[in-house]
Amino acid sequence: MLFRRKTKTGDSVEEVEKLKKLLNAKSEMVSIGAHQVRTSLSAIKWIIKMFLDGDLGKLTAEQENLLRKAYDGNDKAINLVSEILLVNKSEEVVEKKYTFSKSNIIEMIEGVIFDFSGESLWRGIEIILLKPKDKVPEIEIDKEKILVVLQNLIENAIKYSKYHGKIFVSVKTEKENIEISIKDAGIGISEDSKTKIFEKFYRTENAQKKEAMGSGIGLYTTKDIVEKHGGKIWFESKENEGTTFFVSLPISK
Amino acid sequence: MSKKILIIEDDLFLQGLEVTKLKKDGYEIETAVNSVEAFKILEKMKPDMILLDLLLPEVDGFMILEKIRENKDMVTIPVIVFSNLSEDKDIKRAQKLGISEFMIKSNFTLDELTKKIKELIGA
Repeated sequence: MLFRRKTKTGDSVEEVEKLKKLLNAKSEMVSIGAHQVRTSLSAIKWIIKMFLDGDLGKLTAEQENLLRKAYDGNDKAINLVSEILLVNKSEEVVEKKYTFSKSNIIEMIEGVIFDFSGESLWRGIEIILLKPKDKVPEIEIDKEKILVVLQNLIENAIKYSKYHGKIFVSVKTEKENIEISIKDAGIGISEDSKTKIFEKFYRTENAQKKEAMGSGIGLYTTKDIVEKHGGKIWFESKENEGTTFFVSLPISK
Repeated sequence: MSKKILIIEDDLFLQGLEVTKLKKDGYEIETAVNSVEAFKILEKMKPDMILLDLLLPEVDGFMILEKIRENKDMVTIPVIVFSNLSEDKDIKRAQKLGISEFMIKSNFTLDELTKKIKELIGA
């Protein structure tokens, strides 16, 4: 008699494997497609810019005006494709098996702040890391996935901050956990949105006004990763004053 | 004497645009669509700069960069990676192999590219 192997959730192992293969194929297809679209959009961007710079002859005011609109529209499409690539990448990371190892969370945060230094500088935003006086113990995490958490939260803080704002990132040890907080003085989250913020594809009205591009998947993914580490994520926010996100992760598994 | 640039780019449409812009700015241009063509040119001449795409058929841009950096005659040639790959791991991998700049095609205009080239090797 044949028995079908089952996973903890009752699905057959074969079915899970099949789904994983399908998801990988989908992810690969999205990535190839998005790169091809981005290549075509790059060509359009370059050509319109050549026209706008007068490389191909002088333009009338009307031609210039329309081409400028085309250039901006094309840039929006480029941003959207970049966003699709990012979402695809973070889905790939989330779907991968969790591998835990001891990691230095302060070094990881410093790395993420450094990676976003160009964008924060461009928006006139300062990111300040408040390190505790005592040494923070190494923490048992899946490094690649916690990097996605840190990137999502710091990127959101930058995106939804006001120009010349300050972002404070702090780390402290709380009993058996490490607590990280990311505080911005940005647009904040309205009362209506507070219950929906971690839902997949949800974006608040304020967020859409501030940043047209966005998938609404970042916080959903972030919560999923934190909870798979046995941790917690929560926030405090006031509209037009700012938001603080807190992440608490157990030091050891 | 004008500076020589080798463009390694398999998309002929993009390559054509790059050639038009750079020639207009006074550079002498050689082009290759794959590693075989690129190394044939590099055996005959030493360009002042290489503009390198990463997603190429068969031998990709990373492998070309590796070979360039292993060759004592080519090791000092400045390389700008001009690609639509944008993940951290790709940027870090190219930086490790030794590049002057990593530019994501969709984030820059050709004007910004030529400005960067001028900064690095002059007009």
